[in-house]
Amino acid sequence: MIQAPPTKTRPTYYEELQARGHSRRDFMKVCTSLAAYMGLEASGVAQIAKAMETKPRLPVIWLHFQECTCCSESFIRSSHPIVSDIILDQVSLDYTETLMAASGHAAEAAMHKTMEDYYGEYILCVEGSVPTGADGAYCCIGGKSAEQILQETAAGAKAIIAWGSCACNGCVQAAKPNPTHATPIHKLVSGKPIIKVPGCPPIGEVMAGVIVHVVTFGTLPELDGAGRPKAFYSKRVHDSCYRRPYYDAGMFVESFDDENAKKGYCLYKVGCKGPSTYNSCGIIKWNNGVSYPIQSGHGCIGCSEANFWDAGPFYRRMQSFPGFGIESNADEIGLMAAAATGVGIAAHAIGTNLRKSKLIDAHINEGKESEQEL
Amino acid sequence: MAERLVIDPITRIEGHLRVEVEINDGKVTDAYSAGTMVRLLEEILKGRDPRDAWAFVGRVCGVCTTVHSLASVRAVEDALDITIPPNAELVRNLMFCTQYMHDHVVHFYHLHAMDWVDVVAALKADPKATSEIAQSISNWPKSSPGYFSDLQKRIKKFVESGQLGIFANGYWGHPAYKLPPEINLIGLAHYLEALEWQKEIVKVHTIFGGKNPHPNYLVGGMACAIGLDESSAINAERLAYVGQLLKDAKEFINQVYIPDLLAVAPYYLDWGAIGGGLGNYLVYGDMSANGYRDTAGYKFPSGAILNKDLSQVYEVDLREDAQVQEFISNSWYSYAEGNDVGKHPWEGETTLKYTGPKPPYEFLDVDQKYSYLKTPRWKGHAMEVGPLARVLVGYARGREDYKEVVDSTLSKLGVPATALFSTLGRTAARGLESILVADWAQEFFDQLIGNIRNGDTRMANMEMFDPKHWPAKAVGVGHTEAPRGALGHWIVIEDQKIANYQLVVPTTWNGSPRDHNGQRSAYESALLDTPVADPERPVEILRTIHSFDPCMACAVH
Amino acid sequence: MATHALRRVFVWELPVRIYHWLNALAILALVATGLIIGNPPAIQTGGEAYDNFWFGWVRYIHFIAAYLFFFNFIFRIYWGFVGNKYADWKNFIPTSKAFFKEMWEVIRIDIFLARNKEHMAVGHNPLAGFIYFMTFIAFMVQVFTGFGLYAAMSQSFIAGLFAWVPAFFGGDFGLRQWHHIAMWFFILFAMVHVYLVFYHDYVEGRGEISSMGGGWKFIEEEAFEHDEKLHQEKAAKKRVKS
Ligand code: HEM
Ligand code: HEM
Ligand code: NFV
Ligand code: SF4
Ligand code: SF4
Ligand code: F3S
Ligand SMILES: [Mg+2]
Repeated sequence: MIQAPPTKTRPTYYEELQARGHSRRDFMKVCTSLAAYMGLEASGVAQIAKAMETKPRLPVIWLHFQECTCCSESFIRSSHPIVSDIILDQVSLDYTETLMAASGHAAEAAMHKTMEDYYGEYILCVEGSVPTGADGAYCCIGGKSAEQILQETAAGAKAIIAWGSCACNGCVQAAKPNPTHATPIHKLVSGKPIIKVPGCPPIGEVMAGVIVHVVTFGTLPELDGAGRPKAFYSKRVHDSCYRRPYYDAGMFVESFDDENAKKGYCLYKVGCKGPSTYNSCGIIKWNNGVSYPIQSGHGCIGCSEANFWDAGPFYRRMQSFPGFGIESNADEIGLMAAAATGVGIAAHAIGTNLRKSKLIDAHINEGKESEQEL
Repeated sequence: MAERLVIDPITRIEGHLRVEVEINDGKVTDAYSAGTMVRLLEEILKGRDPRDAWAFVGRVCGVCTTVHSLASVRAVEDALDITIPPNAELVRNLMFCTQYMHDHVVHFYHLHAMDWVDVVAALKADPKATSEIAQSISNWPKSSPGYFSDLQKRIKKFVESGQLGIFANGYWGHPAYKLPPEINLIGLAHYLEALEWQKEIVKVHTIFGGKNPHPNYLVGGMACAIGLDESSAINAERLAYVGQLLKDAKEFINQVYIPDLLAVAPYYLDWGAIGGGLGNYLVYGDMSANGYRDTAGYKFPSGAILNKDLSQVYEVDLREDAQVQEFISNSWYSYAEGNDVGKHPWEGETTLKYTGPKPPYEFLDVDQKYSYLKTPRWKGHAMEVGPLARVLVGYARGREDYKEVVDSTLSKLGVPATALFSTLGRTAARGLESILVADWAQEFFDQLIGNIRNGDTRMANMEMFDPKHWPAKAVGVGHTEAPRGALGHWIVIEDQKIANYQLVVPTTWNGSPRDHNGQRSAYESALLDTPVADPERPVEILRTIHSFDPCMACAVH
Repeated sequence: MATHALRRVFVWELPVRIYHWLNALAILALVATGLIIGNPPAIQTGGEAYDNFWFGWVRYIHFIAAYLFFFNFIFRIYWGFVGNKYADWKNFIPTSKAFFKEMWEVIRIDIFLARNKEHMAVGHNPLAGFIYFMTFIAFMVQVFTGFGLYAAMSQSFIAGLFAWVPAFFGGDFGLRQWHHIAMWFFILFAMVHVYLVFYHDYVEGRGEISSMGGGWKFIEEEAFEHDEKLHQEKAAKKRVKS
């Protein structure tokens, strides 16, 4: 289990003032002026004082690189906890281009403030891959390249969460021929715990679950060999698929919308990648348990697996064989090879009878002679 | 003296948009909009199975999820001449209506509202007065004084913590914020309610497509079989679920979204004269109860309007070589035939050629190529696409349903029809079409139920699914009206593989750099004359840009 | 023509013969079930899932055969160290220039069909030995990929030993793909192998086919001596080295 680096118990604002030799009186003065600034009544002063004496919420910086923002979208679909509770009560989402009020310099300033004030304590979430082609020019924010921003923010992060297949393995933009050199986070950052939460996108409740784990238990979730939280990625979709009995019974959908499809047979033969895909879809399901791809009649396309885009086509069990066109697979190539071998064998057999005839005749004669000698 | 202001990142949008503007005497005098991230999906698609394309292009965007998948299966079905069953058309329509309602509500509250609603000022509101206002504009039940005062306490506590999270460094207190504290508080309350609601409506996608974001599509129909007596198919329970979600969505739109829109707008009527921009509008059209090929039945009628002249609507043809063309004169790409030619998407090329400054950089060199967006043109014209375009074309075509919502809104706000050509008009149009879409969804749903009742349970036509039946070469185009505007995918299939695939996307139309003639596209042109009171806090620029609801992942793909 | 003096040579000890046929059987079962797993036929289209388990059985047979195949293979490796000189591991792994020289000789005679020549070997000829070496590598690939796949669906200790394999192949996709592709090596090998066994039997008349039954081959005196010399040279070299 990867242990989060111990959070140093951060001094509250009050403790900080005390350490600098200020009195309680000074502290209350600060609170009063803050209250005035925020336009609060006198009663608000006490509340401010209380807040400034309590522990801060976990600061989170959420970066966006080469992505489609569906990971953010999926995150806000979480039903337990709902996302407003997470961002108002559990974490302090100090930077995310999708939701934050400030733009431009003001947005960058908010990020830098968190990087300085909470050095070594904030969680860095990354959505999207980092293009390393063209000196980083394929993804720039505020004039800086994604890689520059990643390195700057990673330096002071307590841990990194790589959201979605983009950040975990490059996703669609890293599919062949990966023209922008889209690169996953773990290949660029070292020396920091990285939690990979793959999926295109990951399930909202899984994303929320990872954050809640960190906030509630103060540790990072236990990861598997591939760096994914065991709680959500230790089973194949196939292991928890409710259509599994049909698989074992050999009852398959042969074509979409056929009788078998209506009956909910197994989708293996129309390309389901559930047997090769580690994810929680069959257990947690999607959008608060409403359904998941297989339940709605389409095979799993393996969206949480590394390089699933190049493991297609999606509607056939076997992958295409590289270099042999769309409809080629290992079996078709194999059959051709077997046919060629058969022809070779036949040719060899004929050749044997032609070129070794004397030898064979000699053996036969030898045998006949021996027989006579008996 | 002109001042160059850079806003990058523009937040509360999808993706990476950079705007550089010149400001003179408190007004924008020139503007450049740049997309600064590229993935090159069009190249990645080459050589792949056309039946898989929907999944690849689906990942163009997770905000307008489904729209690219829809355009993609339509392009392939067009190329292979596949007619899909009526139920599949209806299910696609329903998923599409769902996308609209979701996208527009999320845009209004989570991406746009903070341009108009001052969150910090909401702390000064009187909960009782807030309740009275809320109850006067809508029957929405969550409107008691207690409700608002609890919310206010919660936000106060949040602000007092000193950790402002997503609200940090907002432009709070800026003189451009005009709402009374009570309406700010209503806005904030509904920001949170909409955040909860949006995760519900998408369940329509989950039911038909297995998940959201990125539900599944299928060339030839949809994968969700109908079987009333089957446990794993679309049965009575699943349909009832959809029915309930659509009903709830309609209620939210009519009782929360629209009343809020109408409550906020009167404080910002000056924005009915700012941010109009091009005045050219383009709509491809979509959503017929009789299916995609029934163009006459489109609830979003197609057409083009030039120079704000609503008396004439031009016909649009996506197959004609000279209509839709893309230019790259100011985009970081190269064409084999040179820098200034336009290409119809069937002949389109996507060859990256970055010539901008090496990061980190302070300014883009806007005299040269300065964006990853290509520049689409319709018969050479720069066009605005999106909700405003759709509402105007529907209105100009004399459609009763459009006239009704438009005229009643104009009269409620007491503004002339010309106020539509503006930032405010764009934001209002999004609300108005949401009302229509919520009704249409109901119609499509009833029709689906009717079909099933009549014994038609077909959901996919698999006759042409096997590539063995395909011609050696085929071309197709699939279009739709995405929430942000006209979307088209053009495909060339050769030897069962994708030989070329080109997307021309709403935000590409709106957010592109200028063309070889120096014509500005919609964003750049709408920003002209926008007042900027304080360049350090350019909330006015955000208002106009956000009124388009930019999606840069879409625009560049 | 004079009759050759023939020697009856005990080539294949019983454990090797048992190994051979268990192996052939296991591979036959693995290929047959593997093909079905890879592309199940549409035979069961009605009824209830709980009435059927045929696909489960196919997979079950595959896994049983897999264990058999695995342990049998381990045993054969062991026997390569303790068995007779014809079973020795050195017959498989090219260790000397002479090995390659011999191999070329075999290719010339058996593959390019040098006119009326026959090769002198008692156990494996070097080419066959080398091909078996490749085969053993394929066995390993199949064992690693197979058990790697199996690790996720089995509680067994043995499968657990291979749990690291999927990550090594970049996930289950690649793993399955390689496992499936490797099957074709077995099919092609079996075709050629069985043909060549018949070929040798036919051309050389040493009882090649029956040798995998009773263990005996019938070898011409000269051939036997040639082979003995090779074995002795090898043994001498080994003694010098040590
Ligand atoms: C000569 C040896 C073997 C051959 C020819 C063979 C062949 C195959 C083939 C063709 C498949 C179908 C792959 C696909 O298309 O997905 C398969 C699946 C499989 N094989 Fe083998 N295999 C062999 C040995 C083994 C061994 C030693 C194991 C070890 C346990 C094994 C375990 C598996 C497993 C777990 C599967 C996947 C089954 C499932 O997902 O239901 N195989 N095999
Ligand atoms: C009609 C069926 C078969 C016959 C008569 C047969 C016969 C033989 C003979 C005579 C040898 C010794 C060959 C030599 O030294 O060159 C041999 C070795 C071998 N055969 Fe077969 N074979 C048969 C089928 C198979 C099959 C189906 C397989 C598996 C695919 C197989 C795998 C092997 C292996 C791995 C060896 C090397 C054995 C060792 O020394 O460990 N055989 N076979
Ligand atoms: N522009 C755009 Fe989209 C939309 N609506 C798609 O076509 O946002 Ni992501
Ligand atoms: S992983 Fe998939 S869902 Fe997430 S941003 Fe990337 S493309 Fe979108
Ligand atoms: S539908 Fe897919 S995941 Fe479910 S049992 Fe069949 S193959 Fe496995
Ligand atoms: S496609 Fe993805 S959503 Fe789940 S069922 Fe498969 S992992
Ligand atoms: Mg394009």
